[in-house]
Amino acid sequence: MAFTPKKQAFNAKINAVTLGTGEKSIVIGGENVLPFYTFDAEMPNKPAIAVEIRDTGLEGETAPGLLAFYEGCTSVVDMAKKAETMEGASAICLHFESADPNGANKPVEECVELAKAVADAVSMPIIVMGCKNVEKDAQLFNAVSDALQGKNILVLSSREENYKTVGASAGLAYNQKVGAESAVDINLAKQLNVLLSQLGVPAASVCMNLGSSAAGYGYEYLSSTLDRVKAAALAQNDAMLQMPIVTPISTETWTTKEAMLSEAEAPDWGSQEERGIEMEITTASACLVGGSNVVIMKHPASIATIAKFIDSLM
Amino acid sequence: MAKFITIGERIHCISPVIRKAMAERDPEPILKRAKEQLDAGATYLDVNIGPAENDGEDLMKWAVKLLQENFDNVPLALDTANMKAIEAGISVYNRSKGKPIVNSADAGDRIGYIDLAAANDAIVIALCSANGIAADNDERMMHCQNMLEHGMMLGMESDDLWFDPLFLVIKGMQDKQMEFLEAIKMFSDMGLNSTGGLSNNSNGMPKHIRPIMDSAMVAMCMMQGLTSAIVNPCDLRLMETIKSCDIIKNNNLYADSYLEI
Amino acid sequence: MALKGLDIFKLTPKKNCKECGSPTCMAFSMKVAQGAVSIDKCPYMSQDALDTLSEATAPLMKTIEVGAGDNAHKLGGETVLFRHEKTLVSKNLYAGALCSCMDDAEVDAKIAELKKIDYDRIGEREFVEFLFVHYADNGADKYVELVKKAAAADRALILDCADAEVAKAALAVCKDGKPILNGANKDNLDAMNAVATEAGVVLGVTGADISEIYDNVKALEGKGNKKLVIDVTGANAKETFANAVLVRRTNLKDGDRTFGYPSIVNIAKIAGGDAHMETALAAAFTLKYGSILVMDKIGYAEALALYGLRQNIYTDPQKPMKVEPGIYALNGADENSPCSLTVDFALTYFLVSGEYERSKCPVNLLISDASGMSVLTAWAAGKFSAGTIKKFFDEHKIEEKIKSRTLIIPGKVAVMKGEIEAKLPGWNVVVGPMEAVQLVKFIKDFQG
Repeated sequence: MAFTPKKQAFNAKINAVTLGTGEKSIVIGGENVLPFYTFDAEMPNKPAIAVEIRDTGLEGETAPGLLAFYEGCTSVVDMAKKAETMEGASAICLHFESADPNGANKPVEECVELAKAVADAVSMPIIVMGCKNVEKDAQLFNAVSDALQGKNILVLSSREENYKTVGASAGLAYNQKVGAESAVDINLAKQLNVLLSQLGVPAASVCMNLGSSAAGYGYEYLSSTLDRVKAAALAQNDAMLQMPIVTPISTETWTTKEAMLSEAEAPDWGSQEERGIEMEITTASACLVGGSNVVIMKHPASIATIAKFIDSLM
Repeated sequence: MAKFITIGERIHCISPVIRKAMAERDPEPILKRAKEQLDAGATYLDVNIGPAENDGEDLMKWAVKLLQENFDNVPLALDTANMKAIEAGISVYNRSKGKPIVNSADAGDRIGYIDLAAANDAIVIALCSANGIAADNDERMMHCQNMLEHGMMLGMESDDLWFDPLFLVIKGMQDKQMEFLEAIKMFSDMGLNSTGGLSNNSNGMPKHIRPIMDSAMVAMCMMQGLTSAIVNPCDLRLMETIKSCDIIKNNNLYADSYLEI
Repeated sequence: MALKGLDIFKLTPKKNCKECGSPTCMAFSMKVAQGAVSIDKCPYMSQDALDTLSEATAPLMKTIEVGAGDNAHKLGGETVLFRHEKTLVSKNLYAGALCSCMDDAEVDAKIAELKKIDYDRIGEREFVEFLFVHYADNGADKYVELVKKAAAADRALILDCADAEVAKAALAVCKDGKPILNGANKDNLDAMNAVATEAGVVLGVTGADISEIYDNVKALEGKGNKKLVIDVTGANAKETFANAVLVRRTNLKDGDRTFGYPSIVNIAKIAGGDAHMETALAAAFTLKYGSILVMDKIGYAEALALYGLRQNIYTDPQKPMKVEPGIYALNGADENSPCSLTVDFALTYFLVSGEYERSKCPVNLLISDASGMSVLTAWAAGKFSAGTIKKFFDEHKIEEKIKSRTLIIPGKVAVMKGEIEAKLPGWNVVVGPMEAVQLVKFIKDFQG
């Protein structure tokens, strides 16, 4: 008797969420199978890659391939336009690192101006990433969501401390998509989604950021959280965990020792840029196989590879 | 493990309002009761149209379409002594939210309901009795095995037979309750699904007592491995108990707001 | 794992013949499950069914041992599909690809490059465990020479060779090292089985698609060979991923022992010569059921990332990863550099040392024994207290080795400042930041 594998498609599925508008808009989620288990059932939408661009531009960037890609760019807006041409990119993630009150403390008005300029210049969906300070992020997301009404952006992220403000502004008043962030804690992830839904934010407007860690740096926690979230969403049909998952990769991987140590400091290790690229690829691949629907990355070589990787498994 | 499945029992022709609505094909009272039960957290809705000897087929089709069209293809348990009516109901049933449940077979005269379920790829509630309530667990398990064997011979998956040990009324059969709970454990050990009309246990008790007794009973049953029950979902205490037990059993992931969802 | 009555019933002929003494097959099955009756009371049980029953208590997935001496490895033996369910047992191993189509210089360079990868990460040796020696149908002599070279490289071997005669010649020069012979398929099954069995080595089996793989494994088992690995590599990445998942899932979830063997994933074959793509695929197969991953290129850039991921995924969720307690001199710190104290939980160590390294400020990082717990957990459990810190200072002779008397403690245990000062007279105890990410700013400000 010929072997026929048992299928394991579920009677539950991940929410399909649209980001952006017009021709370049993307739909993420919608699958009723574990990531890339196309032998159980097709995945209607392939995972997407967003390109991280910091509001400080290329300041502090050293990777030659990255610098070469953005050569000639004189502003963040230039970079965003250029990023749209990157092979494998389907969204732009504008990261307001310098809004941090414990850092440069860039005023909200300046951030809004930049966000508007970028939004006017690009047609891909926009993800706005904050500075991790909950009060400042709440103000920032409120103002940016207002200024970019109609663009269907994703703000990353609301947390337990500021979900009311962010949910009410980005999610309800300005009809944008809300990222719900929990630091690698599955019960909190669910609770935050419950709270947002009780606030009235529709499930189809919510994405989860389950936290992030680089390969080798406590990645096991993220890995198991991803596995457990998918199990609850699909096998237990838990509507409060069926939101698609967005995972920042570049912010974690490029600050590890592997990516930071220069060739002079680690002579055995070879090219510093290659180390950074492989860390970014490894972490992104692991997250996608675990269930991330969007990964946020920055190096053109890693992004091209991960795009090819996704296509090869679809 | 999967979450406990509640089958809402309130669309029942024994209620004068429902009986009248069914006779007149008046959607409103039925939709109202369906909505109340679904809002309260019911998974399946039971549709009991009574014996319905004359217009059963037409009535069941009407009820199935009415409920599924208005409530996103809510899964249903089709409950009547008229087998043709059940088949008619299944013919218009949408399975996207779950297979239909045939309510119900037993090991005696109603064994044919298993054949009906097998022929229509449906779930069947299998009462562990033949003629009257089983005297003890030996008899319950004998009926269980006979029906299981009958279903599997017909090609059914064992998951699709939901065994009902028949809840016993406490006022009258108090000394049989622990043995009844043992039967649920036996089903569970065999990997079988189980269900039953929960509120029968508190029959005849004062109104304010029944939710308390039903809640205690469902908790003990879930501990033994009961996988579903036919209940009044509008009983808040009962539903909160079920949700809490699902958390303890790790059938559902905890969040502070688990009672609200 | 005992079989349930229902599982047994599925194996019975369902004839209800009553010859066993029970009224029905179902009743008989229930009695067998309870141990009340022996299965052989049924005269109509098939041999297959009996085998299934006799295997019912054996583990679902076999543990396969390959290699010898320092290069001995265990593969498989998994019991769960996801690490949170229990723990994963055998970490995936790596193989560097060699081919008889390469010339000598190329082979030497490749072996030298692979052998460069050999370092320690949190108490675990990280290196390329296998050489995967592919036969390109260009003559037995050339292949045997290549195998000899590989066998001298102090790594376990996988002979990827579907020609039984050539494989036999190659095994003659390396079988003591207990290599894997990979390449059994539908056409050469008997010959390959004979060669592998005679040499006493594990046989790798494959097929054109998953059902052919299944049939081939079954056929080999039928010949009594249960020392197998399954080469799940398909025509492309998608098919390979499907094979890897289905083999493992059919085994562990559906309980089918035919697929209860470790896997080989030949990433080099499906990555199209793209080193970055190899890394992406290797990460994916680390999570999804590759036991041995064959790569064309494994340099430091690849190894650092992939071995880090592997170490994370294959940690025991019940057992935290620990680093050795002691003094870690960072950024060229000497005896006059300030000390910063934390616990031996590996993640804490990585975060704290990473941040300090970013600061470029010389610091003596003191890792005290806290049973691998994080700062607050260890403190709450009494594993990170003024007393244990004093003991750590004494055992590691900190005061003899370091002249600086500045000790930075984690902000989360600021309450211990007074107690530590009491136990360590002469030390200036400074409360550091709450989170590791604030360390760069903190240490820079601190050192002015």
